[in-house]
Amino acid sequence: MADPREVRLEDLPGPKSREELEDMKAPYEEYCRKIFDVGNEFIKPGALEGVRWMSCTMYIFTPHAVANLGELGAEIIKIEFPRVADPMRHTSPFNECYFYPLHDTRPHSGTGIGVLNANVNEYYISLDYHREEAKEPFYRLVKMSDGLTECYRPGTFDRWKQSYRYLQEINPRFIYVWGGGFGYGPKAFGGSYDILGQSHAGLASITGFHEDFGGHPVKHTNWCIDWYSGTQITVAILAALYWRRKTGLGTMIEFSQVQAATRCCGYTVPLYGRFGIVRQRWGNWDTQLCVHGIIICGKSDYPNEKNPQLRNEARYVMVSAFNDADFKELCDVIKRKDLYEKYKTHKERVKAEAQVEIYKVLEEWAADKSRSEVVRILTEAGILAMPVKNDKEVYESEHFRQRGTVRWIDDPMFGDMVVQSTYSTGLFSETPRRKFWDFRPVGADNVKIYHELLGYPISTIKEWYEKNII
Amino acid sequence: MCDIIWCKKCNTVNYLDPYCFWNWEGKIKCADCGEVYYIYMIQGHMYKGPEPRPGEEPDILPLYADKPLDGYVNILPGTEGKTRPYNCTPRHIYLGKADHRKFSIRNRPMRAWAPQPPSAGIAGSQGYYWDIKKLSPEVWEEYQEKIKRGEVKDW
Repeated sequence: MADPREVRLEDLPGPKSREELEDMKAPYEEYCRKIFDVGNEFIKPGALEGVRWMSCTMYIFTPHAVANLGELGAEIIKIEFPRVADPMRHTSPFNECYFYPLHDTRPHSGTGIGVLNANVNEYYISLDYHREEAKEPFYRLVKMSDGLTECYRPGTFDRWKQSYRYLQEINPRFIYVWGGGFGYGPKAFGGSYDILGQSHAGLASITGFHEDFGGHPVKHTNWCIDWYSGTQITVAILAALYWRRKTGLGTMIEFSQVQAATRCCGYTVPLYGRFGIVRQRWGNWDTQLCVHGIIICGKSDYPNEKNPQLRNEARYVMVSAFNDADFKELCDVIKRKDLYEKYKTHKERVKAEAQVEIYKVLEEWAADKSRSEVVRILTEAGILAMPVKNDKEVYESEHFRQRGTVRWIDDPMFGDMVVQSTYSTGLFSETPRRKFWDFRPVGADNVKIYHELLGYPISTIKEWYEKNII
Repeated sequence: MCDIIWCKKCNTVNYLDPYCFWNWEGKIKCADCGEVYYIYMIQGHMYKGPEPRPGEEPDILPLYADKPLDGYVNILPGTEGKTRPYNCTPRHIYLGKADHRKFSIRNRPMRAWAPQPPSAGIAGSQGYYWDIKKLSPEVWEEYQEKIKRGEVKDW
């Protein structure tokens, strides 16, 4: 009989040799599908469970900083002004509302669709900070929370005696985030907007086509700097939480949105510092690579659609063929071998004059073709080409569907809803992001927080409600 | 606009807005070349003119003027009544007021119409489940019909 203390390889489960190990490994694709298990996020734990955060925020920028935490499992308490609520609820698009109810006292008001994705998985309470009676519940929440994010003008919370200076005295582990436009300094009272961030940081000046080509500085249609800066705050919060684990102390994070937007400008500022060169816009082309840009085709993919966004706009293709072999192939496809002879090296191609000529030739070639034809011809020739998609096509994209990026959820409050934000930020095998609900009506969790968490009697809550304190 | 003066000398369109020119008689200077025109407008209709009156002293400049043939310069694209229709805004979708819907594009119910029944919770509290069968039975019925007709889809 074999000695039971002896461990023999052949008795152990699993592969017996390196070759067998290789054989037994699941293909990578299968492995990924299994561990990420898209659609079953709710059976796994949230990474930030145990963190409680207060969100005294409005619009997109600061709310999104907290929504990231909520998606990762933190418990978030969103505080809005009674009846009025976060102005984002009434903002967009074109002041049209889509989700009802907003609040019991306003039966005909709803929440605009622009609020989606910015306040995910949060508890919604209302509180008027101006009122003396509001101080006690606010401070009690601070005592039992890990941090707070606010977006009022610099010094406002200080005037209301609820800034970091005051709060760290009652909770030294408290992490306090102020997010806004300029922060302290010469424009301390400047408010913030996404477009302001894009303009002030110099980002808009390098976005869009140059005036020589009929272009202007362009802001992104969506408030991308709001979303981007919000995520930057989340990164700061996670670092502050780690710092607190090591030191036991809280932090104040002061986050200027216009400052954050400069990070997107890449080498622009160092370029000026070194050579005194003011970087110019180069639109849908690339200053480093050619061909590597977006061209317009003659025909739309949806010529008979009613919506002009489809009928007229579905005409753009991204083309990339910057290395010599690809560029040669591209010139063969468009039957302009002379162009390849003229610009044989990338160094010649990437020059501004060359780019003007090359893209013009490409657009002339595409003038009698539809977007999908151009993509098909170039893809078949082994050249990277991709239609510039609109949201209809993103919704229909098989890639996004398989990875769960775009999906339908049954919101417990508002019903059927297609969402992309939560599940667009990387897949976690152990603690994936998830969306329990997108948002809730104003003050929907007043009883849950004031009564169940803080222990105020229902009679007090009713009294506060009648006095418009909550 | 009640009318325009199209200056043939410089191809400028001088727009005569109803606020100033609805009932008006006098001389207008072309905004670009300075040519003077006499008009007499009654109730928004051009009763006399425009007649060129070179050399005479003008009374007023038009409020707006631009050169549509050379591409608009002074007027922003999309200004209704002055430039071509602005095709790229889907105005048939954005109406400026709420577009109440009960079903999503895949025909499942969504709570996107007003008024909604009050929560009846304390201090505006709401539950965590929209009991559509109880709160909006007529939408629930419609949903059942849609299911029967096979109109409810996954995507």
